[in-house]
Amino acid sequence: MSDEYENNITVTELDTASQGTGADEVVIAVSPAFGTKIKKSIVDIGLDKILKELCAGIEEEGLKYRFVKVYNSTDLALIASQGSKLSGSGICVGLQSRGTTVIHQRDLVPLDNLELFPQSPLYDETIYRKIGKNAAKYAKGENPEPVEILNDFMVPSKYLVKSTLLHFKEGEMMDKSRKAVNVEITF
Amino acid sequence: MKRSKRFEKLEKMPINSDGFSYEWVDVGLVTMESPNDPNPSIRIENGRIAEMDGKERKDFDSLDKFIADYGINVAEAERSMGIDSLAIARMLVDIHVSRQEIVKICSGCTPAKLVEVINHLNVVEMMMAQMKMRARKNPANQAHATNLDDNPVLIAADAAEEALRGFAEVETTCALARYAPFNAIALMLGAQTGRAGVLNQCSMEEATELELGMRGFTSYAETLSVYGTETVLIDGGDTAYSKAFLASAYASRGIKIRFTSGTGSEVLMGNAEQKSMLYLEVRCLFLTKACGVQGIQNGSINAIPLVAALPNGFRAIAAENLIASMLNIEVAAGNDTAFTHSDFRRGVKLAMQFMPGTDYITSGFGGIPNLDNVFAGSNEDCDDYDDFYVLQRDMKVDGGIKPIKEEDAIAVRNMAAKVCQTVFRHLGLPEITDEEVEAATYAYCYTDMPPRNKAEDMKAATDMMERGITGFDIVKGLHENGFEEIAERVMNMLKQRVIGDYLHTSSVLDENFKVMSAINNQNDYMGPGTGYRLSDERWAELKEKFNALKPQDI
Repeated sequence: MSDEYENNITVTELDTASQGTGADEVVIAVSPAFGTKIKKSIVDIGLDKILKELCAGIEEEGLKYRFVKVYNSTDLALIASQGSKLSGSGICVGLQSRGTTVIHQRDLVPLDNLELFPQSPLYDETIYRKIGKNAAKYAKGENPEPVEILNDFMVPSKYLVKSTLLHFKEGEMMDKSRKAVNVEITF
Repeated sequence: MKRSKRFEKLEKMPINSDGFSYEWVDVGLVTMESPNDPNPSIRIENGRIAEMDGKERKDFDSLDKFIADYGINVAEAERSMGIDSLAIARMLVDIHVSRQEIVKICSGCTPAKLVEVINHLNVVEMMMAQMKMRARKNPANQAHATNLDDNPVLIAADAAEEALRGFAEVETTCALARYAPFNAIALMLGAQTGRAGVLNQCSMEEATELELGMRGFTSYAETLSVYGTETVLIDGGDTAYSKAFLASAYASRGIKIRFTSGTGSEVLMGNAEQKSMLYLEVRCLFLTKACGVQGIQNGSINAIPLVAALPNGFRAIAAENLIASMLNIEVAAGNDTAFTHSDFRRGVKLAMQFMPGTDYITSGFGGIPNLDNVFAGSNEDCDDYDDFYVLQRDMKVDGGIKPIKEEDAIAVRNMAAKVCQTVFRHLGLPEITDEEVEAATYAYCYTDMPPRNKAEDMKAATDMMERGITGFDIVKGLHENGFEEIAERVMNMLKQRVIGDYLHTSSVLDENFKVMSAINNQNDYMGPGTGYRLSDERWAELKEKFNALKPQDI
């Protein structure tokens, strides 16, 4: 597995993330190795492209986004749950480097969610756009029709080994004692 | 290099679309016999375990401590640990040594000891031992009923057909979590329409799952996950105590539960402490026993594509099922996750539990097409029914289900859809149209169903929970609207939690709500002529092949 994907994603750490105040804000919470050790998804989609679509989806609905990086867990549920508590609207899109995504809401327990996209190898740019859009709609208090569910039962048999190795990489960047930070991500 | 045409063809075979990996001990990518697995040992001081598997009590992590204090029978420990592991391994395949005797010995063993015992067995010996050690005398089976649209009418019809085929348990989950109450109710109604006494569960986030049980929408729970390293358990927001507490919450409401674990899960979660997958799984089994939980769903489950990518994968999985039985707990044996592109390979995997029989041979069999399986696809789906039936017929093996006639399936699906329609109407939920009932009766998968308004459904599901609707409201709705018999069945399922007999190890209910468990129906296999044998009536059901030639007629 090579990380030499030719993209210009850069992650700059800012201050410790605090709770946003704007109700028009959706937090995009990313995993420890996102954009640094890992720059492309499990099916080699550049993480820059994924973010571009998520952000565009949120902006289309007239809302703002904020990037937060979670270091104390590699578990998507915990990443997104922290992000939703920091989000001004209470809505967060959680994103692991391999492309697994969830829409989370502040008042839900970590393992609950609004919409979950667990089969990362199946998602293309179009789906991430829709996820961004739906997250923004939840933030506006709407009850949108969920993004279509994709399911390919052969995905794990092909990708679980790779997914496990990517998860190890996330784990190497994990720091249990570290609080979530605001990050600037350029792409 | 000039390519060999045979190698080129081989490369394109389904098996070569599977992922395979070499072992890597440093991160725990090893199924059995990691050089870092501990050696068995025990020292008892003042009736308490002071040393276990090479570790002093002061060095115990929280799992070691919980296992040492609650998971091992100290009274038997010194005797059990004194028996040579090879001798115990031989007892497992010796028809003259009873299950009870082995269970007693295993109750005093440590995790590393049972791993050492099992490492002596090859797969045929494991299957032989599994046949003897299964807790319940007769094997059974479980089915999945889900669909990508979370369509409740379709779930009801699918569950009814599964119940008619003979599955003892049915399980659902959701593509969208907020659908959970609808899926749970639809599954229960379908199951009780198909055959009285079928147990049902809805696998969700833990608080939701418990609430569905307490409301009387489900009769058991299975997805209470435990892990074999402290780090992973804690990362999941748990301790041994929190799991034991959750287990008690179910027990106090009279709801059957089993835990879920499986080889490979710790590696998937990123922390395996360089131990073998099997050793960590055995810690989960001891933890389950220590929590007082009657059973386990294991057999790698979600991690099977990873375990099967490594050498000894199937053997490790057969071993984990077997060790659970040796600890005298119920085993729902996996075979529930698609892990290979090869039909050859998945059939052989199934055979390892199908032939000896486990408490539930699969957990579960997709009674729906895999494209609709929200558990991400099972090792078997509804297109495999006839293969499964023929294998039962070929080998005179009871896999827990029986062939049914198309017209019977249609009738029961139609009735379940109507039952679901009636209950939805009674509870003021979004309408189920006659068109949907008709579609569910004949459907193959979700695309055959008229689309529902999901946003409206989920809002109504949430509202229904807020209104405090319970199983009794459903009984009432059925009774007042011409479905007295189904009302009676649902009522009987609710009564089970007051009676509590189905909390015993390996329980299933027959169509008269009689409990069959490891207490009143214990596996007594001791060689040919003993243990579970097919009755003539059962064999007649299983050997039925509706499209077979009737030679006398020709």
